[in-house]
Amino acid sequence: MSAARVVMRSMWRKASGKYALIVLGLWVLVSLISLVWTPYALLETDGFHAWASPTAAHPLGTDGVGADVLSWLMAGSRTNLAIASLTVVVAGIFGLALVAAMVSRHTALRSTSVVVVDALISIPTVLIALMLSVLFGASTAVIVAACGFAYGLNLARIVRPAAILAARSQYVESAVWSGASGSRVFVRHIMPNVMPVLLVQLSMSAGMSILAEAGLTYLGVGVGVGVPSWGHSLATSVRFISIYPLTVLWPGLIVTMTVIALHLFGDALRDAIDPLTNPELREAA
Amino acid sequence: MTASHGAYGNADATTTATSNAASSNGAASTDESLNARVRTSKSPRPNKWGIIIAAVVAIAIIVGAVAIFNGRNAQQSANKADTVTIGLKLAPPSLDIRRQSGSAIEQVLIGNVYEGLVSRDSDNAVQPGLAKSWDISTDGTTYTFHLNRNMTFSNGDALDADDVAWSINQLKEKQYYNANQVESLSKAEALDANTVRITLSSPDSNLLWYLTGRPGLVFDKDATYNAKTQAVGSGPYTVESFDSASKMVLKANPKYWGTAHKPATQHVVIDFITDDNAAVNALKSGDVDVLSPVNATLAKSLDANTYHVSASDGSDKFVLAFNCANKKLADKRVRQAIRYGINHKEIIASRGGVDAALGGPIPSVDPGYEDLTGLYPYDVAKAKQLMREAGYSISKPLKLTLTYANTYGTELGDQLKSQLAAISIDLNINYVEFSTWLQDVHANGDYELSLVDHAESHDFYKWTMPEYYYHYDNKDVQALYAKALAANDEKESDEYLKQAAKTVSEDAPADWLFGYRVTVAYNKGVKGFPDKLSQTVLPLWQISKAE
Repeated sequence: MSAARVVMRSMWRKASGKYALIVLGLWVLVSLISLVWTPYALLETDGFHAWASPTAAHPLGTDGVGADVLSWLMAGSRTNLAIASLTVVVAGIFGLALVAAMVSRHTALRSTSVVVVDALISIPTVLIALMLSVLFGASTAVIVAACGFAYGLNLARIVRPAAILAARSQYVESAVWSGASGSRVFVRHIMPNVMPVLLVQLSMSAGMSILAEAGLTYLGVGVGVGVPSWGHSLATSVRFISIYPLTVLWPGLIVTMTVIALHLFGDALRDAIDPLTNPELREAA
Repeated sequence: MTASHGAYGNADATTTATSNAASSNGAASTDESLNARVRTSKSPRPNKWGIIIAAVVAIAIIVGAVAIFNGRNAQQSANKADTVTIGLKLAPPSLDIRRQSGSAIEQVLIGNVYEGLVSRDSDNAVQPGLAKSWDISTDGTTYTFHLNRNMTFSNGDALDADDVAWSINQLKEKQYYNANQVESLSKAEALDANTVRITLSSPDSNLLWYLTGRPGLVFDKDATYNAKTQAVGSGPYTVESFDSASKMVLKANPKYWGTAHKPATQHVVIDFITDDNAAVNALKSGDVDVLSPVNATLAKSLDANTYHVSASDGSDKFVLAFNCANKKLADKRVRQAIRYGINHKEIIASRGGVDAALGGPIPSVDPGYEDLTGLYPYDVAKAKQLMREAGYSISKPLKLTLTYANTYGTELGDQLKSQLAAISIDLNINYVEFSTWLQDVHANGDYELSLVDHAESHDFYKWTMPEYYYHYDNKDVQALYAKALAANDEKESDEYLKQAAKTVSEDAPADWLFGYRVTVAYNKGVKGFPDKLSQTVLPLWQISKAE
């Protein structure tokens, strides 16, 4: 049995892991479906039936211009999937690069990078996004850049202790003595050691990026006008929350369920991927 | 390595290690609490539910306590009968009415703190003000105003013909805001202490109406004060405090000269509440007695037994302007197609069905109004045909950009994009800050399509100014408007205006999406709040509140 299947199976066996896998699976599936089909075209508006309650024709009702809420949420799931995955990639690369600097053999680089990270970490994500949106306008790229930057810093700060521990270990010492280059030591010996912490952090970053998207879009610096996203659905319906609470409920529910799933996914994956906590993996290997 | 192995997964190993550490410190109670925690973590679901229920109950108690506390506060503040609190949406950035643009400052100050030669009532008609009567020469170029006697400013200074003539001449000389509305006015002179003569270079049938606004305001020639934060006028109220970020407090002017506009309430507080939901909540909690305007959809949540809610015709025109100087939009067929392609009824329905259909540049409260909605009825087939003739099709759509301010919400843009897609127009929406719109579109005229609410009354003259951001230049319209101004007779003037408005509408330099009808809501205990035009004329003196 391959290691990947063992990991999946051990995640599935736990209730939290099962929940995470189902929700994330649905997310990807719906995103793919929305590429080719949504119940209504996004541009199909019907002002005579704005803010309609759920009916057979519109299972989740309609929004302020009479467009189908379900269609917008389906299409929005692919925007959010793209934002979450890109944020993970950017935060991962940026964070690891910082970790590499913080455990490097050059003392000057090591100490300055720690100070720089500590200083930058104090800038709120929203502020970064606001400043970027002034320069480039509201767009998905701005959200990814702001989240990737902020969460990359967080990640670096949290992964650093584990990386330092690994860097001081005897196998790293012997690798260095046998002439391995700095980058090789980092990739081969340090990264595998920080992987469990890294995965939890990355999945949390994915969850936070969805929350950030919702918040930033509400502030008008998130996805552009007319781009479907969960934050867009929330922002357009929240104005009338006291009159039409249902339209806020759907995107809110989806965001909550997905963010919980991402957080649980990170925990479950960490437990399943680490041979120390997963005896089955030890047997498979 | 082995120690860390134990730390994962095996709960017993951790607990033993920790409790050992605790007991070595000699703290038995810590030990007990640790044991208790171990039990909790091991026990099955019921306890987890217990925590959740406890949390929910705690939150409910906090929310309840806050709600009750707020309710009590609200009752206290609402009980003061000598204070009426009014919630407005837009705040003037400063009190300097001679320099500060925007309609919010006119709404709050004109007729309340500053008074003009003539005043305007809630039907948009001219009424006596500081002048009790006036004569107009037969050629329409000389106006003689007879002032009231014994008038004073709030600082005690006497108000006479010298102040009136000085104020109007200063307006022309310093080119204060809206001086361009009375372009034809050449000079004002005091004939004696109670008579003022105004001379015009050419007759202007709109002059009296414009004098009800900023151009007719009278200021104290001898007073020195900081006009941005203070106001010295002759009106029934004085400004006690002003903060454009939150509120303005007005107090009855003890030295008020007049009897007709004697304040019914000693104090008026104006709260500036930009957020629609916050505004409705403020009304419900009793923090404000009146909301003007209130969002029509949100107003549905107000209890009809407690609150009076009404909408009325106003001068707000939502203008979708087509830049006639743009190459794509210079083609009249494209402009006409857009007008045929827009389903106004649907847009109005989605906004709550309150607003009025508007087919041309003159709103129903202004002279020269005529129902022009029949000129360009919703007709997709005709719109498509016009687009085809202009050389566009679904496979080769016309790309246009709509620039508008984010204060109006994304819905309008989404609807226009959706409706125009059906007539092969690919609409890109540039959703900007209001200041950006003012700069790019209003000041620089750099746009393709623009959407904005032109709230002003009597603003048809903008269609006669080719340099205005509409870039609309039609000699016939300019000639008709000049005739309307020169006409001595009101009916004759209206006829010319009607013709001019119809010509503009037929030319399709813009589409008038709808006439925004302002909805106001107030507690039924409030008396005297105007149901009409409260966005421009707000006679505070007549508003009172029952105990």
